[in-house]
Amino acid sequence: MEGIKHKLATALTMAILATTPLVKAVTPPLTLYTTTHPAMGTEFTLYLYSADPTVAAETSEEVFEEVDRIEQLLSNYRDSSELSRINQNAAASPVTTDPEMLDFLTQSEHWSRASDGAFDITVGRLMKAWGFYRHSGHIPPEGELQQLRAATGWEKVQLDSAARTVSFTSPGVELDPGGIGKGFAVDAAVRILRAQHVAAAMLSAGSSTLYALGAPPNLDGWRIVVPGPLPSHDSLSVITLRDTSLSSADCSEKNFTVAGHLYCHIMDPRTMRPVEGRTQVSIVDPSATASDALSNVIFVETPGQSVETLKKYAPEARALIVSGDAGHPHCTIFHWGVAIDSTRCPL
Amino acid sequence: MNRRDFLQSASAAALASTTIARAATPAVKPIRLGVIGAGSRGQEDLRQFLRVPGVSVEAICDIYPPRYEQVNRLAGKTVPATANHHELLARTDLDAILIASPVGLHAEHVIATAKTGRPIYGEKALGFTVEDNHNILAEVTRHKVLFQIGHEYRYASWAQEAIRRVHAGDIGTPTHIYAYWHRNGDWRRTVPQPDPGGKLEHLINWRLYRESSGGLGTELGSHHIDMANWVFGEQPQSVIGTNSICRYHDGRTVGDNVQAVFSYSQGRRLVFSSITDNAKLGCELWIYGTEGSVQITIEDATFYFEKKKLSNSPDDSVGKTVVERGVVTGASYSTAGEMPYRGPGEKVVTATSEDPTLAAVRSFTEAVRGEHEIFADVHCGFRAAIACSVAHDAVFEENKMSIPSAKI
Repeated sequence: MEGIKHKLATALTMAILATTPLVKAVTPPLTLYTTTHPAMGTEFTLYLYSADPTVAAETSEEVFEEVDRIEQLLSNYRDSSELSRINQNAAASPVTTDPEMLDFLTQSEHWSRASDGAFDITVGRLMKAWGFYRHSGHIPPEGELQQLRAATGWEKVQLDSAARTVSFTSPGVELDPGGIGKGFAVDAAVRILRAQHVAAAMLSAGSSTLYALGAPPNLDGWRIVVPGPLPSHDSLSVITLRDTSLSSADCSEKNFTVAGHLYCHIMDPRTMRPVEGRTQVSIVDPSATASDALSNVIFVETPGQSVETLKKYAPEARALIVSGDAGHPHCTIFHWGVAIDSTRCPL
Repeated sequence: MNRRDFLQSASAAALASTTIARAATPAVKPIRLGVIGAGSRGQEDLRQFLRVPGVSVEAICDIYPPRYEQVNRLAGKTVPATANHHELLARTDLDAILIASPVGLHAEHVIATAKTGRPIYGEKALGFTVEDNHNILAEVTRHKVLFQIGHEYRYASWAQEAIRRVHAGDIGTPTHIYAYWHRNGDWRRTVPQPDPGGKLEHLINWRLYRESSGGLGTELGSHHIDMANWVFGEQPQSVIGTNSICRYHDGRTVGDNVQAVFSYSQGRRLVFSSITDNAKLGCELWIYGTEGSVQITIEDATFYFEKKKLSNSPDDSVGKTVVERGVVTGASYSTAGEMPYRGPGEKVVTATSEDPTLAAVRSFTEAVRGEHEIFADVHCGFRAAIACSVAHDAVFEENKMSIPSAKI
């Protein structure tokens, strides 16, 4: 799965991670171990504190096995995935699936409903029509877009929890998990870390969705740098996270330009067109699945709409939204809680 | 009336409407599943079972309590759990049993289940020791229970099509199979601490200890042995092999790498290799025939063909022989030589690429409902597992050892 949403270059300041913890004589020192793993069209990175390199290696392996398992569940690039099976069959008759897949679809449906369709995983064919499926961006004919309206829309996915089935009410519907799948994988992997009683770790899905578990020794949390406004990579804000996730979205890595106009890979499913007027967003929420989906919601909605959506459906979230363009950015915040460089992005 | 008959008798008018067609989807006979052994493989099997209409999980048995909550999450409900398989088998609300316990317990669990008469989906390998395999085969046969072994690649559409073509002669006569399962990882699971006496270590990492595991040759190689048995139409007659601990000196007593050569009739061979510190080759199996090769992986299959040999046909597009058209002279430089073929090959195309385990458990539930026979049956399981049991000793002895056939 190549993500709908590409990574914002949220950067870790690793210097502070190297801080040697104060330890008692009997306690083996914690060491920071880093491992990477290709999955879901990006590179996952696990930063893990452990007193034992063998335990760190075993834990890393189990975490990435779980990520791989979720990729096999959700990939729309693999014919044998559960999501592909649903895409292939759910228009013809209800497809029985397992509770985990149903949970994924239910969470997707929730954010579609909450955002009035700003978030929508039925954009599979729309992404292909605009050439974002395999990095061959182009503007589709208007007629093609109108035809795709019949195959796009979250209401066309019917879930029956009691029967464990999913069905499409229109032929041609194609699910694309790119706006939420990495978050779902991160949540699953964090459950493995918690089950192993890991005290401090951070898992990054290509930096677009990450989860901070616990805190590095002697620190309050994991330091995350939000750069921008893009294309600058200087710091816009620095936030410290503990036991929560952060997801970011921007257009910097997956886009195409026609006649000097940049078309972003993040779709507004309601207009069937790439989003205009948003530069980048970052959102913090305890659930990585939610933050991943919400990063799309607040990218698509206007800042005013986003604030209302967050108040109603994610009051605990914290968000930083950059609108406008590179020359004239302006920021909107929701419970962000830390300073931003307003000289670079006025509120 | 079975499901297919019902579908065939449904009116064309009803099927013309999507909505009505959905309403006409027949209710399938429920299959209430019990699970013995709910570790990682058991959970993956169970997850796939729950993707089959009409299947539910009603009870599990595992001696490691953390599995209970994991299964509850997977099943989306609280599943009754016990540590005693006799207690599970005494329930009257189970229609079929999934057995995914460690291989050393398969004989005990399969035979106890067979005595209840319930259909069994048993994870590979069938049994641990030679004696276990003979006993399981005898008891499953004696009690006439449905038994499907977890050789799921027999149900992979691309593997079925590739081997159909091999049997049809597409690569000539298959003579050698080279199978690799190469990984880069220590094969360990994290063990909660403290662990006095290493009890949890042996419970969780049972695959690493010779008294409870056939090692890489059994846990991974049994799939490839089964594929070779399928291609050659028989079980191997003998095996030679070796293993060592090359990388992970962590107290394990099975090799972290294994190489074995299995001998079939007419001089045919399966060469199996598994290493755990380099994943370049991954999991792949090559069938070599006199006219071509086929590579089968966990996701696809691809054919490659040898250079044409002796032919008496006109050899160009105009249908002229060399006598009629003459030979064009020129430079003789050629880079082909003995270099490996690096062309694209011909990928096997199938209508569906359903996950092999899902295809396998779906087929099992259809067999339980009486819709067809079992393909990967207990005999199939025996022929692979008996080779694993002997190979397990052979790789330590480093002697050629004979593989016995079934007694029944």
